Amino acid sequence: MAHNSIITLDGVGVSFPRQALLRRGEPFWALENVSFDVREGETLGVIGRNGAGKTTLLKVLAGILKPERGKLINTGHRVAMLSLQLGFLPNLDGRDNAMLSGILMGLTRAQVRARLGRIVEFAELGDFIDEPVATYSAGMRARLGFAVALECDPDVVLIDEILGVGDADFRAKSAAAIEGLIRSNKTVVLVSHNADTIERLCERAVWIEQRVTRALGAVGDVAGAYRLSAAPASRDGGGPAAQPEV
Amino acid sequence: MPRIHYLELLLFKTYADLKAEAARTYLSFLWWVIEPVLFMLVFYVVFDLLFKRGGGGDFIPFLLCGLTVWKWFDGTLRMGMSCLRTNVALMRQVWLPKILFPSTIILNNTAKFAVVQCLLLGFLWLYGYLPTRVYLALPVLLLVQLLLIMACTYWLAALEPFLPDLRLIVNNGLTLMLFLSGIFYSADRIPEAYKSYYFLNPMAALIDAYRDVLLDGVWPNWIRVGWVAFGSIVGIYGAYVFFRRFDRIYPKILF
Repeated sequence: MAHNSIITLDGVGVSFPRQALLRRGEPFWALENVSFDVREGETLGVIGRNGAGKTTLLKVLAGILKPERGKLINTGHRVAMLSLQLGFLPNLDGRDNAMLSGILMGLTRAQVRARLGRIVEFAELGDFIDEPVATYSAGMRARLGFAVALECDPDVVLIDEILGVGDADFRAKSAAAIEGLIRSNKTVVLVSHNADTIERLCERAVWIEQRVTRALGAVGDVAGAYRLSAAPASRDGGGPAAQPEV
Repeated sequence: MPRIHYLELLLFKTYADLKAEAARTYLSFLWWVIEPVLFMLVFYVVFDLLFKRGGGGDFIPFLLCGLTVWKWFDGTLRMGMSCLRTNVALMRQVWLPKILFPSTIILNNTAKFAVVQCLLLGFLWLYGYLPTRVYLALPVLLLVQLLLIMACTYWLAALEPFLPDLRLIVNNGLTLMLFLSGIFYSADRIPEAYKSYYFLNPMAALIDAYRDVLLDGVWPNWIRVGWVAFGSIVGIYGAYVFFRRFDRIYPKILF
């Protein structure tokens, strides 16, 4: 596996102004000093408690937010979050929504059209694909959203704690599909507060705590350190073992 | 992502929005015709039937020439102003050039306007105002108005996230502009001394030009139209630069 870095973060900090126009008051820093790199073909885990800045970090990687401090170097790769039901309009049928969602995530119309058969099959929608999404059950909508997201193949996939949607059967199927994606040669950044998930799926990990990088390296070391730090002071509801996933 | 992709996105998003909008009502696409007709009927009832402002039968074509193009301008600005706010969930999930959102609104409203404009032309021909040589100027006027709408909508959409109060000012400002654009009266009634000020309003200049072409069969005042086009192009460029400068600020300041 190649080991060249395709995205590098160097001392990245992201702040949110408290007031839009006059920028009065101190800005709120969601991230202060984060450094790590994402290497081609790897699965990098980002671990941290609620409020550590994990989601903000994903948005920086996806190019949605601009860091006020530090540097982000992307060597020309398309980075996107795995977004479910992106841009869905309830009055449109499944076909139009799949098309809209796919184009929003960077596919061309022709590409979505070519993948529509697979999407419908994976989502187990059958003839319902021609019905308005408003008439779908929540589970059906989730299935369609997931199937489209899975087909939108960016160079680097960012996954934020979504490891299964829909009813029990589909949860297993979608979790397996995500794991398949993660285990493939695709470059993936997986965010979780659960050390076990990260340890099971990633090769390297970075631990974000209090808006700065606490540790970076082989997943075993980072996950171990994270667990140790969480064990004594378990006041934090988002402790690693507190919320089982999938 | 290549630029062509954003064009495809613009077209499909507009198509999807229009279709979703139509699906929300029983009469769906018929509203593209009914709604503007109702809008114009209101002004017809007030000014022609109530105030007897017309004096002759020709007031209705005169009024409609101004109202249809005004509605294109007014409707797009009102809808486009808050489009970044309404799309904030989307722009937090995926990076998109922000100018895409007002562009979708502009295209959406322009498609609806195209239907109304065809109806207006048909109505004028039935009324006896047949096409003349100067109809050649009509596409130019429509293009210049599109540029004006783009410039105004882009700027309002770009500024509204920083100044949410803008919405209230613009809503009333547009109402004032409706009365200052010569929709209910002819520019000829403006005293000569004030005329140059009156035509500083780009919509007044355009509506006067439309009437020259559609009703009077004379060439419009190209100098005025040219100024509107020039100002609009400068405005569009400025807004484009502004959007690029604040592109990744918008997801931070909108809630």
